[in-house]
Amino acid sequence: MTEKPESYEAAVERLEQIIDRLDSGQAGLRETLELCGEGRDLVAYCTAELDAVGEGLKELKLDELATKLAGAAEAGA
Amino acid sequence: MGETLEPDHVAARAPELPGPFAVGRYARKLQEEMRRRARVLLIGEVTGVGRSKVQAYFELRDGEGAVPCAIWLDDLDKAGLPEGALRDGAEVVIAGGPDYYPGGGQASPSFSFRATHIRLAGEGDLLARLEALRKQLKAEGLFELQRQLRRPLLPKTIGVVTAESGAARRDLVAGLQRRGWAGTVVWAFAPVQDRHAAPAITAAIQDLAARPQVEAIVVTRGGGSLADLWAFCDETLCRTVALLRVPVVSAVGHERDSTLIDDVAAVACSTPTHAAEAAVPLDCGIARLGLERSVAVLSRAAEGAVRARTPHLVALARGPARALRRERLALNQKTREIRAASERSLAERLGFQRRVAGVVLERAARRAAGAEMERRRAALHRAEVTLRAHEPERTLERGYALVEDAEGEPVTAAAEAVAAENVRLRFADGGVKARIEESK
Repeated sequence: MTEKPESYEAAVERLEQIIDRLDSGQAGLRETLELCGEGRDLVAYCTAELDAVGEGLKELKLDELATKLAGAAEAGA
Repeated sequence: MGETLEPDHVAARAPELPGPFAVGRYARKLQEEMRRRARVLLIGEVTGVGRSKVQAYFELRDGEGAVPCAIWLDDLDKAGLPEGALRDGAEVVIAGGPDYYPGGGQASPSFSFRATHIRLAGEGDLLARLEALRKQLKAEGLFELQRQLRRPLLPKTIGVVTAESGAARRDLVAGLQRRGWAGTVVWAFAPVQDRHAAPAITAAIQDLAARPQVEAIVVTRGGGSLADLWAFCDETLCRTVALLRVPVVSAVGHERDSTLIDDVAAVACSTPTHAAEAAVPLDCGIARLGLERSVAVLSRAAEGAVRARTPHLVALARGPARALRRERLALNQKTREIRAASERSLAERLGFQRRVAGVVLERAARRAAGAEMERRRAALHRAEVTLRAHEPERTLERGYALVEDAEGEPVTAAAEAVAAENVRLRFADGGVKARIEESK
């Protein structure tokens, strides 16, 4: 597994680079297989990010966010 | 008390000035001075409206400061303002000049700007004020800061400042849903149209920006007159937005409305729907399709790469077999050569043996030539055998050794051996030197 991308856009940018490289047909067998592996990891990461904002809109008021965070902090303590 | 004053306190005398004058007289002079000052127009927001029997008073303020104002009720009536128009939050233009009320024996003195005329600020007044402020903020470079911020393509949490009840809120949520985005929205509700609006909106934006989860902030309200939207031109609010490290998306009023927050925000949008698109730049549905396409490309590339290289791989796989066959051929050749050489050598040996056999047969033939000859040969052989039995070498072959002196003469007695001291022991297979150490 390659390192976790720092953001969705970084992951997409790298994925585009990989696809461009594969499309160029210049990558050897070993590089192609490595790029395909890295590409699949990036797709998995992006899918997980999309899933994280795909489970139903959550609406909070600012003070509720503060309460929720305080609750989470207590639970974590 | 008993404390003595420090010398520098003693020295701190009032400088030499005219006077002292009677304060009441001075107050009158001050009033004259004030009234001589140029009459001007002022524009600002009305706050703290109050009335006495004869005049109305209020403060006129903006982001930088305020002036206490007063207007005689007669003048106010002449102004013909709509009923209740002189209220907190109203943007007005007043004409007048500074005045000073010197007070009296019982009444307190006070300063005020004496307004003789008053009217509600028109669009033109506000626009002029807005332009001045816009020019100033731009000159300070505050328009660029937000635009340089990185806006996340796919935020998980966005903050929204808007009115709790309003179409803007509904439109924004609808826009987010059209994007296929269902993350977390943190609402920070604030009044969006009165004199409390600007400070409340500023505080709400600051509170949202203080939450590390909030990756982008949307500030939105529906359309209205410039006066209605004036809170979004507030200098403090706009300076706050400009300096935030979280990107702010503004969607205030309609397309033709231009408020100052639009200039300092990272993105200015014409509607809440557009603001949703700016806050979540990624269309999640399209992004999922894109990922599916990427998976297909990756799979094709991996399979294609293997397929394209299959002949090469097969050739590589054949390589060892071919090499083995080559080696095997070479080995067989060598084997044949060795066998041939060996057969040649055998033939040569057989030839030799045949030659030897020929000689032997010839001798045998000769032997058979005469029995006498054979008899003599046998007698001679016996004599030879007897003679050979007496040769010292035969004795030595049986395990005896011959002792010789330096000259090679046999030493046959112990005394001779002692005398010789250095002797040589001759065995069947060779001699060794020996030294006689002692005799018994």
